[in-house]
Amino acid sequence: MEYYTLSRYAYWKYYILILYYRLAEYPPVVRAWFVFGAICVLLLVLVVLGNTLRYFSHYRFERLSRHNSRRYWKRMREIILSERTLELAEVSSILELPKNYKMKARQCRSFIPTLLELKRSLGDRISRPNWVRLLQVLKMPAYFEDQILSRSTRERVQAFKDVADLDGNLKEAVASRYLFTKDRKLQMHARLHAARFGTSYPFKVLEEDPNLVFTKEMVVKYHNVLVYRKENGLAMPNFIRWCNRVPLNEELRIFAVNEIRLFGRKEDCAELLSMLQSSREEEFSCALIRALGELKYVPAEKEFCHRYLSASFTERQVLAEAMGTIGSDNPEILKFLSDDFLQSTDYVTRMILLRVIYNYGARGREEFYRLKESTAGEYQPYFSHIECDLIDSSRYA
Amino acid sequence: MPEWLDYFFNYFVIVYSAMVLLSYVAMAILAYLEHRKHYTYHDDAYTIAELKKSPYTPGVSIVAPAYNEEKTVITNVKSLLSLDYPDFEVVIVNDGSKDRTLELLIENFDLVKVPYAYVEKIKTKPFRGLYKTRSDNPAFKRLTVVDKVNGGTKADASNAGVNVVSNKFFVCTDVDCVLDKYALYRVIWPTMYSTRRVIAVSATMRMSNGSMVEEGKMVEAHPPHSLIPLFQDLEYTRSFLIGKTALARINALQNVSGGFGMFDREIVIKAGGYDGDSFAEDMDMVARMIRYMCDAGEDYRVVQIPETCCWTEGPSNFKVLNRQRTRWGRGLLQCFTVHHDMVWNRNYRRYGMLTLPYIMLFELIAPVIEFSGYLMVLYLFLRGAVNYSTIWIAFLGLYIFAQLLTMVIISYDVWVGTSFKRKADYLWFVLASLLEPVIYHPINVFFSLRGYWKHIWGTQMVWGNMTRKGVQQRHPQANPQPLQQPEPQNPDA
Repeated sequence: MEYYTLSRYAYWKYYILILYYRLAEYPPVVRAWFVFGAICVLLLVLVVLGNTLRYFSHYRFERLSRHNSRRYWKRMREIILSERTLELAEVSSILELPKNYKMKARQCRSFIPTLLELKRSLGDRISRPNWVRLLQVLKMPAYFEDQILSRSTRERVQAFKDVADLDGNLKEAVASRYLFTKDRKLQMHARLHAARFGTSYPFKVLEEDPNLVFTKEMVVKYHNVLVYRKENGLAMPNFIRWCNRVPLNEELRIFAVNEIRLFGRKEDCAELLSMLQSSREEEFSCALIRALGELKYVPAEKEFCHRYLSASFTERQVLAEAMGTIGSDNPEILKFLSDDFLQSTDYVTRMILLRVIYNYGARGREEFYRLKESTAGEYQPYFSHIECDLIDSSRYA
Repeated sequence: MPEWLDYFFNYFVIVYSAMVLLSYVAMAILAYLEHRKHYTYHDDAYTIAELKKSPYTPGVSIVAPAYNEEKTVITNVKSLLSLDYPDFEVVIVNDGSKDRTLELLIENFDLVKVPYAYVEKIKTKPFRGLYKTRSDNPAFKRLTVVDKVNGGTKADASNAGVNVVSNKFFVCTDVDCVLDKYALYRVIWPTMYSTRRVIAVSATMRMSNGSMVEEGKMVEAHPPHSLIPLFQDLEYTRSFLIGKTALARINALQNVSGGFGMFDREIVIKAGGYDGDSFAEDMDMVARMIRYMCDAGEDYRVVQIPETCCWTEGPSNFKVLNRQRTRWGRGLLQCFTVHHDMVWNRNYRRYGMLTLPYIMLFELIAPVIEFSGYLMVLYLFLRGAVNYSTIWIAFLGLYIFAQLLTMVIISYDVWVGTSFKRKADYLWFVLASLLEPVIYHPINVFFSLRGYWKHIWGTQMVWGNMTRKGVQQRHPQANPQPLQQPEPQNPDA
């Protein structure tokens, strides 16, 4: 009798063949079912293994972060609250980093939660030059640069967010390669980075990208960037240019007008009025009207009255609000509002008109009570509603 | 055995089962892609910080109907008022409670009836009045209490709430639900980044049984430690993190849970509001909103977010589970009866061509097929004709698949940011998963069939009450007593 020693592959083949011939006895459905079950078992093992590895990796990272926080919190605090601008060597000696401290991504990342917490808790008390030096000693700029230039999309996006949160000291050129990338989210973060820290024409892409998609998310983020620039004394963009860019971008135009309103740039009002005179788009017109109203630009009242009768309900509501906000105590405006209250067929518009009249100075209050006396019962709930101080009638919808 | 039955089980049922399993695999893959996208681009803390400081963050209203909730209403309203969001209001609709719900609200929040100019945009049972606070407390200023005649359903009360909300978006929830502190930031975010109009946002819901709740706020989330809520928690997690996420990825989400979901107010009103006669009014609402958008030729999105935003208390015994699932089963069939014209209708885009046919084939018909399978096995067993060597392999294959799915869910949950305090809590999910296919699933098949039966024969059915035990409280004196409250809404109809 001959004996064979099975080699590695033959060994596997032997068992697979046994299995195959065993299964051959069964109908095809059972065989298919068996293969399905076997694949599931294999995947199950892989998923369990993956979960376990991820758990331990996460656990180690958390432990490192906690350790860094315990060890360096006080030292970092001392550095960034120092009234004197410290030298890099001084920062390094206060921190007492391990001698073998190198720029390893994992180590740098583990410092981010502590730095963010410090920045959040100390706010304005932080000495900016010392903060920058602290980041340099921890080699954070190099870490961020490395993450942005050579890592996965998630790490790039996360690095951009961390730089913004930490007010990181990073060259604006780092972001430039992603300014026109097809990955819209990454592109947005790169553009926000350029807008936040850029020194030479930081909003260029907004004015020049013909395919710009300006979502509400970008509205929120660009506004925060603009607030940051203003607070740090950086140059602000010319919003009027954004309104007139070619090709026109409706969302960007509306955003620009809203920013003029929020930053209180009264010097742009004349330009806004001339845009309103030629505007036919409802949403853009509403933004212009709101801006002119809140900036209390009295010359706009005439245009408001002119537009009113041909405007949609939404635009009428905004116009009425704007006239009320300007509050020029003009009897003609008051009469205009009062007449429209009696003619309006929309209940929200009617409520807004009545509220504007009520808040339109002493004359407005007088007109309000005159209307209350002269109108029929169906209008009375509106009057009671406006008169009640407990109801915020500006939120009526 | 008749030959046709033999063919039916040999071919149709086998092909059907294979399709069901394939659909699960496809959904798990789609959900993976969606979670990966979320993991790549989303950073919860960063998003919240950005929204918190922006004047562009839209306002959100919370609508929470309350019926006979005197034992918990104050704690829960305070919890809602303490949510973190720059601009929100809380609208509590007292749906003609017979207990002291309204009186307690008036006493605790110093409310007074105000002459609100109520306009009935959606028809409801008569409106009695609206209450606002006299207090200087700024948090109380966010509260509005609407009092109305009892309409018998949550839908009617929700509609009255929709009539008075002042923001573009509103969250519909139950007054006994525990919301995450940052839930509003999370649900509003999809409306900001989407290039299409987002008409509804669904968020993940979990069971609060077993969790630690303090003053209506979630302190420590844990899985339930009793079997029925635990099964339900596993079912909810699977539904939200795989089923709904996958469907939302292809913009084909069928349902936004009535327990917690955000809606575009304008579209809800144009679609006619919630249907008071529906037993699955949440699914019906989404169907009608989509119908309106498609008829108007407008583009839309219905989004599912993976973060847990809401915890609700699930049924703790079979009696209540039976009532709930029978109603869901009935509601599902009712929904198909009402919206049958949308099925296989190209005008309703993916909802008509994919979602509804999918639900019809794999959710509506599934209990019937499964039940026939059980009967078949019983018949063969009585005849002594069971092929044991085949049946065990089929059962084992399915069983392992169920375990695999549970492990995938756990991976996804950890990936998107787990709400559990300890990772070891997932062992409860593993336990539930081991028992679910043999205990919970067959029972639910029976309950669903009962619901179909009631719908077909038009049996009179009213909204059942659910006996709640109350979640664990840090302070024992705050522990609510068992009380009668409406059932939570169906997470996936």
